[in-house]
Amino acid sequence: MIQEQQWLLSLGTFLPLAGVLVMLFIPKKDEAMAKGVALLTAVATLGVGIYTLVKFDYGQSQKLQFFTTNKWISPIKATYTIGLDGISLPLYILSMVITVLVMVYSWNHVPNPGNAKAFFILMLVLQVGMAGTFVAQDLILFFVFFELVLLPMYFMIGVWGGENRQYASLKFFLYTMFGSALMLVAFIAMFIVTKNHATNPDAANFSFQWFHANAPGIARNTAIWIFGGMFVGFAVKVPMFPFHTWLPDAHTQAPTQGSVILAAILLKLGTYGFVRIALPFLPQAAKTWAPIIAVLAVIGIIYGALGCLAQTDMKRLIAFSSVAHMGFVMLGISTLTPLGINAALFGMVAHGLITGMLFFVAGSVKERYHTLEIKRLSGMLKQVPHLGWILGFCAMASLGLPGLAGFWGEFPALLASWSPATILTDSAMGNHELLYRVLTVISAFGTVLAAGYLLWLYQRTAFGEPSEEFAAHGHDDHGHSDIHDVNVFEWIAWTPLLIGIVVLGVVPSLMFKVMDPAVQQLTSVFGK
Amino acid sequence: MIAFSAPIVDYHALAPELVLAAGICLVLLVDLFVPAHRRWITGTISGLVLLGALLPVVTLAVLGGDVRDVLSGDGISGRYVVDNFALVLKALFLLSGYVVVLLSTNEIEDGGYYQGEYYVLLLSSVLGMVMMASSRDLVSVFVALEFLSIPAYMMAAWKKRDRKSNEAGVKYYLLGVFASAVMLYGMSLLYGIAGSTKLSVIGEKITLSGPRTGIEVIAVVFVIVGFSFKVSAVPFHTWAPDTYEGAPTPVTAFLSVASKAAGFVGLMIMVYLAFPLARDVYRPFLWVLAALTMTVGNLVALKQKNLVRMLAYSSVSQGGFILMALAMAFTNGSEESSLRAIIVYLIIYAATNLGAFAVVIAVARRTKSAEISSYGGLFNYAPGLTVMMTLFLASLAGIPPLGGWYAKFGAFRAAVDAGGGWGYTIAIVGAANAVVATAYYITVMREMWMKPVPEGADTSAVKVPASLVAALTITGLATLAFGVVPGIIAKVGSLTDLTGAFHG
Amino acid sequence: MSDFLRDYLNVVWFAAIALVLASLLLGISAIIRPNKPSAEKNIAYESGVNPVGDGWSQSQVRYYIFALLFVVFDVEAVFIFPWATRLETYGTFGLVEMGIFVFVLLLGLVYAWRKGVLRWV
Repeated sequence: MIQEQQWLLSLGTFLPLAGVLVMLFIPKKDEAMAKGVALLTAVATLGVGIYTLVKFDYGQSQKLQFFTTNKWISPIKATYTIGLDGISLPLYILSMVITVLVMVYSWNHVPNPGNAKAFFILMLVLQVGMAGTFVAQDLILFFVFFELVLLPMYFMIGVWGGENRQYASLKFFLYTMFGSALMLVAFIAMFIVTKNHATNPDAANFSFQWFHANAPGIARNTAIWIFGGMFVGFAVKVPMFPFHTWLPDAHTQAPTQGSVILAAILLKLGTYGFVRIALPFLPQAAKTWAPIIAVLAVIGIIYGALGCLAQTDMKRLIAFSSVAHMGFVMLGISTLTPLGINAALFGMVAHGLITGMLFFVAGSVKERYHTLEIKRLSGMLKQVPHLGWILGFCAMASLGLPGLAGFWGEFPALLASWSPATILTDSAMGNHELLYRVLTVISAFGTVLAAGYLLWLYQRTAFGEPSEEFAAHGHDDHGHSDIHDVNVFEWIAWTPLLIGIVVLGVVPSLMFKVMDPAVQQLTSVFGK
Repeated sequence: MIAFSAPIVDYHALAPELVLAAGICLVLLVDLFVPAHRRWITGTISGLVLLGALLPVVTLAVLGGDVRDVLSGDGISGRYVVDNFALVLKALFLLSGYVVVLLSTNEIEDGGYYQGEYYVLLLSSVLGMVMMASSRDLVSVFVALEFLSIPAYMMAAWKKRDRKSNEAGVKYYLLGVFASAVMLYGMSLLYGIAGSTKLSVIGEKITLSGPRTGIEVIAVVFVIVGFSFKVSAVPFHTWAPDTYEGAPTPVTAFLSVASKAAGFVGLMIMVYLAFPLARDVYRPFLWVLAALTMTVGNLVALKQKNLVRMLAYSSVSQGGFILMALAMAFTNGSEESSLRAIIVYLIIYAATNLGAFAVVIAVARRTKSAEISSYGGLFNYAPGLTVMMTLFLASLAGIPPLGGWYAKFGAFRAAVDAGGGWGYTIAIVGAANAVVATAYYITVMREMWMKPVPEGADTSAVKVPASLVAALTITGLATLAFGVVPGIIAKVGSLTDLTGAFHG
Repeated sequence: MSDFLRDYLNVVWFAAIALVLASLLLGISAIIRPNKPSAEKNIAYESGVNPVGDGWSQSQVRYYIFALLFVVFDVEAVFIFPWATRLETYGTFGLVEMGIFVFVLLLGLVYAWRKGVLRWV
């Protein structure tokens, strides 16, 4: 642990709250002021993030850096422990970047019913929760941050969402709540079991270090139950089949900004939980659960892809593609190998950039055409060439074209699942090698399906002549020009994401190098 | 002839009660001798009296670390004490009472109700609660319970010309005295068995072995049943929704927070002091009560259209979580975490629920209604109240980083700590209920944030009177603080704080 | 049967006995009493003369207040008598206690007076 500049992560995490405090005193009518303060705060937060990037010691990325630990709730042994290593660094920074970009995009895109102040405040609160989850090194702290994102997102979908927003937001809320209740019980159970079996029960606390040292010693049967509780909590968030049904509704109904944040960061909280908490603390149970996770992941891949093919709505299609992509991430995790988990982490970031971008595009299409029905759209390349090209680019990235970021999430995951960790293949509990190989083949087929639905989407919306309905207009019902190409705010918001997709696609080692030492250390619990 | 020697009174330890008693007389007299248009002053005085009574609580907490016998002398030592347990709860009751005074000020004044009498009764009820926290003897427990209940019966019927309020008062009164009778019967059996009214002595005698086991079981069950009415545990909860709906809203807040807390304190004292060896009787009983209370409270709350009624059922179900922790006391050494969990739960729940009622009162001043549908679009014209209400509801639902999560956490922890079939099953039941509960809290949030304003509603900005602002500030800050830094209250309720508690 | 259930059996027995006793008392009296209803018997009893007006007529609330005041002072007297016989034993402590008790009752009297209860017309 490197305990320099201990204040840095706390600052980066809680700085948005200062913005919220200032914004509370801005009158509701002064929207420009509210937006300005919010954006300024987000940029400042990102500034802290970049400073963190600079100060991060890449030579020791397996160690927790900027580590600090303090008393928090001493009677229940919860501590305020935070730190950053190679696994959380990319996600931590990504959350800051996405918040800034979403705010830029929102500058003139505050969805109905307006009220920019509240909308921006919610984004800042979300940012606190997201960043906090990635730096937390204590289970209770993790839980608090993990739950902190729940209400802002609920309101974002429920107030600013589409027609069916109330149903979607309620579904999102109840699913997540259900998962986290079980997760909390699992956390408490893990704490109490480790405490009762420890040689030094007085030293027990909720910090990750304690569980690293003690949780792997829990009897296997108990551990399987505890893992099960966490599994539900994280799997709902990912979301994994069969807990995924809230996702298409939430994504479709959420405002563009909500969809982007949801896809780019919130879904990653679940997968991050698996990598950070479930696997390393309970390797004995992970061994049992991994094949189940793998099967569910592959069902998710195929189910998501088939779901995409059946969609008539562009945003819903992207939402289902998320289920498929998160399936690859989970498949990578389920291999318990360094390669697989590296792939999963890379996939998380890549999916964040790409799907986030796709939702941005979908939002802009909706704004221009007032519909996302695929069959009513066509000829985007002619009518709005820049937007059309960007959609094409993102579709390519999403289907895993080599040279773009998406590839490095999927391909290594497939490779890894061909030869999963040795504890899965030669354990006394049964050899799962064959299972994993079959799953690899099936999921490889899933990539083909992905190419299918994305290209089909692209062909139907971008190629051909603009449909008659929209061809005539440059005008909407109100008589002013409506269907225009990408505007300045959109360019500013999107360019960093597009660049990111290319850069990570061409030089994936940028991230792999940072993550690998941490991942190697993490997987060492599974033995060789 | 029995020789009599006067007890030695520790006046410092008795000061909170004395201040309250003097305050009651003062308020009564002031009310009689000031002209009608200045009667509001009784509210101010009551607030000051409550804060004044808090002062000795603070000095006692700072100066005297150890246990103080309020009355000591021949055979009466250890029956009325001031320990850390009592101090924490006294502070809770006094502060809750203060917030209720803040909630009442405008409501009682505008409604044209008797003001002086209202505050006298409120203070008397608080005095009963403050006594309950110190009682370690059957007699004082019972006197305290009646002291806090009887004024509450009258307060529930305070809206004299409103039929619902009359119904509230009568129902509460009839079931209340019935419960008292049952409990008194149980207590008389306890006395008969133990030959003493001192709880710690009873605790040693109620062992569930020997020839009088049958009587012991009946006694324990009856006492628990009596308290179950007070804390509105299912199936003894039937008075609660009607009473909560009919009573004036500040009184409802008082009943659902302070009065309920006092009931739990009494139950806790009985279980920890008088029944520690009778676990085999109270554990299954409380376990079933807890499971029923959580589940039934929640399921019925789901259907409510009236916010006050919904909060009533929600408070029933919240009580189930407290019972969950209590049922698991003395199982695998979890008595300490149970005690902590209950006290922390009571404190956090008090702050949150009082806050929620403060918003209800503030909104009802405008809409004259507590129907959930009247909250439609509240966010558009009262954003501040909406945000506060959202915080309180989220806290009740147990969403971090608001206080409620820590309360639930403690209750779960107590159950899991006890472990075994009993503990784990009730924890799972609790977890499922926690999720169900969010469904109805979220309905209200949805109404406020996402639904349109009802036709014809006045949507000019809502003016919130200063006293309500103060109440909202206190409860809001407390709710937030308990969630973010629960450490500030997490230390209370260690087993050693409760004098006479059974060890081992 | 487990010990635990047998413990609870006591409660059941207890409830059963209470139930049986109550129904026996009511039941036996229902069986042995003569039952000859007539219109006369259903009229409210008013000192033997024919009743005037409705049986549900309201009484002056004053009567209740008067009765309450009487009870208050009656109870006061009941408490003071036994205390007075042992005054010397209780000493100063007892005197102070009784002073407080009388003061509180006095407060009630003052309350009644200010509320106009003592004015009869």
